[in-house]
Amino acid sequence: MAEPGGPGLDPVIHAASRLRVVATLAALVPGDKLSFPRLQTLLDMTAGNLSTHLRKLEDAGYVVVHKTHEGRTPATYVELTARGRRAFEQYTETITALLGGAGR
Amino acid sequence: MIDDARRTTGDGTGPAPQDDAALDPAESLRLIRAQQDRARDLTPDGRVVYGTWGVAWLVGYGALWFSVDNADSAAGAWAFVLFGTLVLAAIATTVVHTTRRSRGIAGPSAQVGTLYGIAWGIAFTAMSVTLGGLATAGASPDVVGLAANAMSCLVVGMLYFLTALVWGDRRVYVLGAWILLVGAVSPYVGYPGSYLLLATAAGGGFLVMAGAEVRAARRRAATGG
Repeated sequence: MAEPGGPGLDPVIHAASRLRVVATLAALVPGDKLSFPRLQTLLDMTAGNLSTHLRKLEDAGYVVVHKTHEGRTPATYVELTARGRRAFEQYTETITALLGGAGR
Repeated sequence: MIDDARRTTGDGTGPAPQDDAALDPAESLRLIRAQQDRARDLTPDGRVVYGTWGVAWLVGYGALWFSVDNADSAAGAWAFVLFGTLVLAAIATTVVHTTRRSRGIAGPSAQVGTLYGIAWGIAFTAMSVTLGGLATAGASPDVVGLAANAMSCLVVGMLYFLTALVWGDRRVYVLGAWILLVGAVSPYVGYPGSYLLLATAAGGGFLVMAGAEVRAARRRAATGG
């Protein structure tokens, strides 16, 4: 049961890169969005790598990717959905419980 | 603290297949903590904001107090220039810092932030116009000085209540109450002692707040890394 990576851990975010993406977006006020370049800077990821992970998170309904225009230049904003925020909170709780509440 | 974040970020940038390798819970928690620390970049650093204003009040009002020769004269021109320069520098620092930290964020909090910034501008403009009116009506330099000090504290204290309520920060509420108290008693201290009170008690309040932020950052660095 307490086997690392065993049942109970959301496979969508139980992966280093996606976990970091979700942890970053969860720092925003609910309803706020973060621009793709800023998110990329905070994660030190390549654009291609980040896009791949965002697609997986989008498929799971954890993030919404907004494509807009700022003047003439296209801009991409990423928002964590309520579902994604819940999944991250649940994941953190499970991890903390697995560690016996250590690191609190 | 920043070094820690950088180091852990380096671990997570590998190719996607590495992600599929089993993460153990301790590693997961470490990644979360490190990334949450990195995401602090999205909010203003209280050490910068309160530290800057603490120095501006301490030195600026301290200079005004020092430059008054006797109770019937206004503060010296050099002191007003220094005070004005410090306040403008503090405004510039605050605006540049918060704008940098919040770049790339869109949504409700961006609108709140903009309206909040404008509120400071409106409140201090209204205050300056009122003080001009008092002077025009014949108030002496010492009375205008006392009113300016008390009203500055009133505006800052009230806006800090707003800050505390919007961003859910109780310490700012306490700081706001302290600044209001200092402003309220300042006219009773008299002129030019009012300047000294603002320099030490109000300026000191900002610096205590900056110190609390420094301690909080140290605590995070010790437990989060």
